[in-house]
Order: sequence, then structure tokens, then C-alpha cells
Amino acid sequence: MSACPETVIEVKNLRVGYDGRLILKDVSFQVRRGEVFVILGGSGCGKSTLLKHLIGLHTPMAGEVWIEGDNLVEADGDDRLRILRKFGVMYQSGALFGSMTVIENVRLPLDEFTELPAEAKDLVALAKLQQVGLAAAAHQMPAELSGGMQKRAAIARAMALDPDILFLDEPGAGLDPVTSAGLDALIRELAGSFGITLVVVTHELPSIYAIADRVIMLDARTKTIIAEGRPDQLRDHSSDAWVRQFFNRQAGAPAESSPTN
Amino acid sequence: MPAEVPSAVRPEWTRTADGTPVLALRGRLDATSTARLWRELEERFQREPVAGLEIDAGGLDYCDGSGMGLLHHLSKGRMTPGAKVNLRDLKPEFDTLFRSYAAAESQAPPAPVERGHGAEEIGRGCLALRADLRAEVTFLGALAGGFATNLVRVRPMRWREVWRVFELAGVNALPIVSLISLLVGLIIAFESAQPLAMFGAQIFIANMIGLIMVRELGPLMTAILLAGRSGSAFAAEIGTMKVNEELNALETMGLDPVRFLVVQRIMAGILLTPLLTLYSMFMGVLGGVLVMLALGFPLTAVYHQMASSVEVSDVLVGLLKGLVFGVIVSAVGCLRGLQTQQGPSAVGESTTRAVVSGILLIILADALFSAVLYVID
Repeated sequence: MSACPETVIEVKNLRVGYDGRLILKDVSFQVRRGEVFVILGGSGCGKSTLLKHLIGLHTPMAGEVWIEGDNLVEADGDDRLRILRKFGVMYQSGALFGSMTVIENVRLPLDEFTELPAEAKDLVALAKLQQVGLAAAAHQMPAELSGGMQKRAAIARAMALDPDILFLDEPGAGLDPVTSAGLDALIRELAGSFGITLVVVTHELPSIYAIADRVIMLDARTKTIIAEGRPDQLRDHSSDAWVRQFFNRQAGAPAESSPTN
Repeated sequence: MPAEVPSAVRPEWTRTADGTPVLALRGRLDATSTARLWRELEERFQREPVAGLEIDAGGLDYCDGSGMGLLHHLSKGRMTPGAKVNLRDLKPEFDTLFRSYAAAESQAPPAPVERGHGAEEIGRGCLALRADLRAEVTFLGALAGGFATNLVRVRPMRWREVWRVFELAGVNALPIVSLISLLVGLIIAFESAQPLAMFGAQIFIANMIGLIMVRELGPLMTAILLAGRSGSAFAAEIGTMKVNEELNALETMGLDPVRFLVVQRIMAGILLTPLLTLYSMFMGVLGGVLVMLALGFPLTAVYHQMASSVEVSDVLVGLLKGLVFGVIVSAVGCLRGLQTQQGPSAVGESTTRAVVSGILLIILADALFSAVLYVID
């Protein structure tokens, strides 16, 4: 990696809410190429909401989301489609289409967006499944897979068109520690071997330590980012008591968010 | 078509000293350029088969999954049957990706055969039918048990739920039952007015409307409407509960879903269908009477004509039919809901099955009624 890695996602002064209710404000951060960037925070702080705005499912109240030099918020029509092709998304439940087999799920983006011959599409889809360790389950239906396998298959589908960026919503949620650790290893491999930039929403501490190059932490009370940096840095050296409490997994009401010196 | 990428792949052909063709790939191999190159190469190798092929991949700056698919396909000799293919100089950063293709093919099971033999399908259908009948009989047993538990008050009936369903499925159905019954009465009277006029027998429209609405169409129309409106709703509601594991939650709490959910709905069905049927009979007769009035018959004449042909026993038969149909519709709706499988289309399937089997069973029961009543009379 070069000394000054390129910025692939830049969020500027994002303000997010529904029906006049403010959920997040003043959210600005940058994601660099090839890193695993984790968005974390307590339950209900707006992590998944922020993700939905980053991938263009919702329009923010104000602010900009730049993806590889294009502003997703203002793009429409073909421009928007072109930006959407740059990333893949894995949803919390996997969101595999239940009426198709696993390999058909992965093939779907290839069928819709490429002119490749059928045998090429099969080959690519199978290779994607292999990369997430699921080639053997190619012809099974999603309902026959375990939760962890469904998430892997969803990652394979998100990778079908070789996007530069992958967004993962709570990859470890509801999985046993072994499966969850397997997914963490996969995430590191995607970033390491395939050079994909990953933006991961999670609140699972073991995962954060295992995968994150950098994290931002959202806070429900201040409705904005309260910490940014490497996870071990934040755990040991954050000036914010709530951040330290979060990283050290201490129970109790959130500590005051003001800096304590 | 996507715009031409300036750095798209550039294939260059040369030959080695011994005459083997060399394909040198330079630039960028992505989904767009791969699709084009794939076709070009296929056509070329069909036109000019080769005995050997060397691929120089050293000039590739970018190669995505589809490009790697092409290299794998070429290197396995699938485009050049019988030829010896050698892939060289692939940059090390593409190595992991390239190797995953060979591994994928070695691990993937063959695609399963989609459909079985025709006879096999018929066999499967028969087995499914048998399983369904068995499920229905089991359900009847569970239902009897549930009713017994509730009515002899080992556990009290949840009457609040009964009234909620009664209101949803019964009271809220009044507008549609009114409209349809009134219109059916009207239509039958109008359609029969002309042929009966030829014999000067229009006054007998009153007899016909009275009998047909009270004995047959009142209960039938109500039941069919109920199957479409409430049988489907029961199936969808219980089906969604099953998909959300709410039924499992009930069972692990030691509550029988049949007693807890189904008995209430069937009880509501038993209470509301006769009432709704009575109302439907009235509206249908009203429709016929309106036509008679419009044809110039006085109300008293119509009344006497109708009273002379429709007896209390006819109304009772209609109500009994309504009661039976009500039980059928609500029980089938609940059963299909309980049988809901997993998956996104499961609830939709149970709803459809609830309506179809509900209507089928209603018609069967009606036919049975007709036969039995014919024998009794």
C-alpha cells in the first residue's frame, strides 16, 4: 500500500433523519482504498441508518456521499446506476432470493449486467462461491443453508460484479463465535488478497479487533461521531469515558460523553 | 452498450519458433472486454482450430472475476479441444483469484436434475394427497380436543379474541355481503323476468327468488365471500406467525396453537356465518322484490307469493348450511396457516390453498346437502 492511500468514500456533513426526527448530524469521514472500515456504536445509534444512506437507499436531509469521486446523493438515472455498480452490499439477513438456488442468486447480477456467455457466468459465479467457501452448496436453496452460510452466499452475490467496495451490515449478528470468526477471516482475506475496500457495520467487539483497520463510533445522545481511530487506540487511550466503557464492555448507563482529562 | 473503456484488453497474436500460436493479453480484462474477447476467441478457434496455444498474461494490469474465468476456461483447453494450452506470466497478485477457479470446479457438486419422471410426479402427488388427508384428520382430532378443553373450561375460551375475529370477519363483511347479495337477487330476477313473461308467469319470480336465495345462494355466496375474505386472512395471519416462530413460542410455553388460535377463529366462524347468511338471504330477496316492484307487482302480492312457497324449514336448512360452511371456511383457513412452510412465498401459498380448498369443500358439502335433503324430502 502506498504512503498516502487514495480516498474511495468521502462523507461530508451528513445529516440524517426521518419525518423531521433527527438521527445523525455532522457526520464526516473518509474511507481509504483497501482498508476495512468499521462503523460501530450502541444499539439504536443509527449505524444501519447511516449505512442505508451510504448505499443510496435513503436520501439524507443534508450532506454529501462521494463514492470514488461521484456524489451519490445527487446522482440519478444512468449516473446513479454507474455508481451503484461500484459497490456490493450484504444485508443483515443475507436477503438471498428464496426462490433461486445459491448459484442462481450469485449469477443474477451477471445475467442482468454483463454480456458474458452462459458458461462464463456459471464459472464466475462458482468461483465467487469458492472464494467464500461455499462452492459445495452451489445448487442448494437458501432455506437449506445455515445463517452463516447465507451470509457468505450474500457476500458472494455482492462480489459477483467485482465491486471495489463492499458494505456489510452486521456480518456476525446471530452467528456462533466460530462461524463469526470464519467470516472475520473472510473479510480480512477480501481486503488483503482481492484489494476490496470494506465498510462494515457491527457492534461485536471480537470482530472489531479482528478485522478493523479503522473505526468510527456513533453515539445516540450526541447524534454524531464521537471517536475515530484504530480500535486498540480507542480502547486504551480515548478521552471519552463512554468509548472506553464500550470497548471494555462495561455495563451500566452510558458515561458522560464530555472529555475527561 | 457500455462505453468503450480506453484501457480495454488488447489481444495480440504471434507465433513461437515451432509455430504454436501465442495470444498475448495486455491492458484491462473486465466484464465488458471479457464478454467481447470470449466471443471473438470462440469464433476464431472454430474457424481455425489449433494444435497448441500459449497465453501470455504478463501484460494484464487488471483482471476481474470474469476475466479470470476466461483465463481458466482457456487454460483448461475448453475452447481448443485437443490442444495443449500453456498459460504463463500471470502476475502474482492474480494468483489467489486464479487458483480459486480450479478449486471451485473440483468442489462443486453436479447440478441436480430439476424434474423427475412423469410417473414419479404422479406418485409424489398421490403421496402428498395422502399426507394432506392425514393432516386434515389429525387437525380435526386436535380441534375436537381444543374445543373440549375450552368448552368444559379446563382452560377458559379467549372470548375477547373470538369477538375480535367476529368483528373483523363478520361485521366488517356486511357492506360487501349486502352489495353482492342484493345484486345477485336483482340479476336473477331480471334474467328470469323475460322467459317467464312469455308464459305470463312473472309472479313466480317471487317463489323462485325466495327459494333460491334462502336455500341455496344465500349460504353459498356468504361462504364463498367468507373464504375469500376471512379464510385467506386466517391462513395469512397464522402462516406469518409460523414463519416468525410465534407458533414455536406458543408450543414451548406449553400452549397448544390449535386451542390458542384456531378454536377462537372457528368459534367466531360458527357464530357469524349463520347471521351473515340470514342477512345475505334478506338482501338477495330484497333485490328480487325491487325488480318485482319495478315490474309493477304490488308488495302484498309479492309477499303472499313468497310466503306460500318459502317455509321456515327452508330458512333453517339455509342456516344449517351457513353454519357448516362457516366451520369449513375457518377450519381450512387455520389448517392451511398451520401448514405454512418456510420461505418468502410460503404465506402466499397457504393463502391460496386456503381459498381454493375452502371453496372446493363448500361446494362438495353443498352437493352432499342437496343429495341428503332430496332423499329426506
